[in-house]
Amino acid sequence: MTTSQYLTEYDDIVKTMQMYINGSKNGKSELMRPAFHPEASFFGYAGEQLAVGTKFLFDWIDKNGPAPKIEPRVVSVDILDSIAVVRLEVAGWSGKLAGSDVRMSDLFTLLKTANGWKIIQKAFHWHA
Amino acid sequence: MPERNTPQKTLESWKQIAAYLDRSERTVRRWESSEGLPIHRREHEKQDTVFAFRHEIEAWNRQRTKCPPELSPDEAEISHTVKTPANAYLVEHDAITRTMHRYIAGARAGDGDLMRPAFHPSATISGYCQGAEYSGSVEHVFQWVTANGPAPNISPRFARIEIIETIAVVHLEVRGWSGKLAGANARASDVFTLLKCDGEWKITHKLFHWHEQ
Repeated sequence: MTTSQYLTEYDDIVKTMQMYINGSKNGKSELMRPAFHPEASFFGYAGEQLAVGTKFLFDWIDKNGPAPKIEPRVVSVDILDSIAVVRLEVAGWSGKLAGSDVRMSDLFTLLKTANGWKIIQKAFHWHA
Repeated sequence: MPERNTPQKTLESWKQIAAYLDRSERTVRRWESSEGLPIHRREHEKQDTVFAFRHEIEAWNRQRTKCPPELSPDEAEISHTVKTPANAYLVEHDAITRTMHRYIAGARAGDGDLMRPAFHPSATISGYCQGAEYSGSVEHVFQWVTANGPAPNISPRFARIEIIETIAVVHLEVRGWSGKLAGANARASDVFTLLKCDGEWKITHKLFHWHEQ
């Protein structure tokens, strides 16, 4: 991959991630849905409960409502040709379900499709 | 460990044999007495040297990896490594590599059922197969591995292991893939996401990229 190719791919991946962030911040799953692959999966523990499936995620985002103070940081972006891994740290989560000032660590895996980079899985860890 | 990729037919030391089997020298020495690992010796004045034929090791490994994982002699080594590290990070790191080695053992033996315990029941896979995007159940991996048959020369490397409390990502680089479906000497980059469920690390997703040869 040349430098210019790398930058193009990197920027496209960050744009996809920005849709996720926008949906989270506004409490609107419709804003983040286009970032996800139709076959995407979702895994993690919400307290003691194992949360599985993107439906859980989208319902949760809509029910949680706006989280205007989230502070997302991209910790790493690794690109391997058609696949990528993004680690995101999000501080300052708030909302009806999140509570206040919660921190979440996310591992996203992405696949490069004909329609651009799509999130194929989100795994998360809530920091209690 | 460049000796693992050389075309030579023999492995010329405990170190090479251990590297070939992806285990410690201590373990492969034990396997000689307890599991019949086929080791040969050359007599010298001071000390015998050991060597092994790759085809014999492969045949032995194929036989051996058919046994259920619970009964695998690896368990002795596993329980040992669990007790040893005093550091909580090492415990998690080792638990993750053990899960990954189940995947590797299944891939090497061409036995999908052997790797099944490494995966969460709802696990999925995604990636490109011969130019076509594929996403679906992990069952496809088990079927593919079994149909592919043994890939005795796969040479996996952990390019990255990142652990965040209950989740982890593992980037595995695998060279030397072979078999009915893989072809000869293919290379795959795999990114696995794992979840710690009831104290056990399970793969929830496998993302793969086959490199063009």
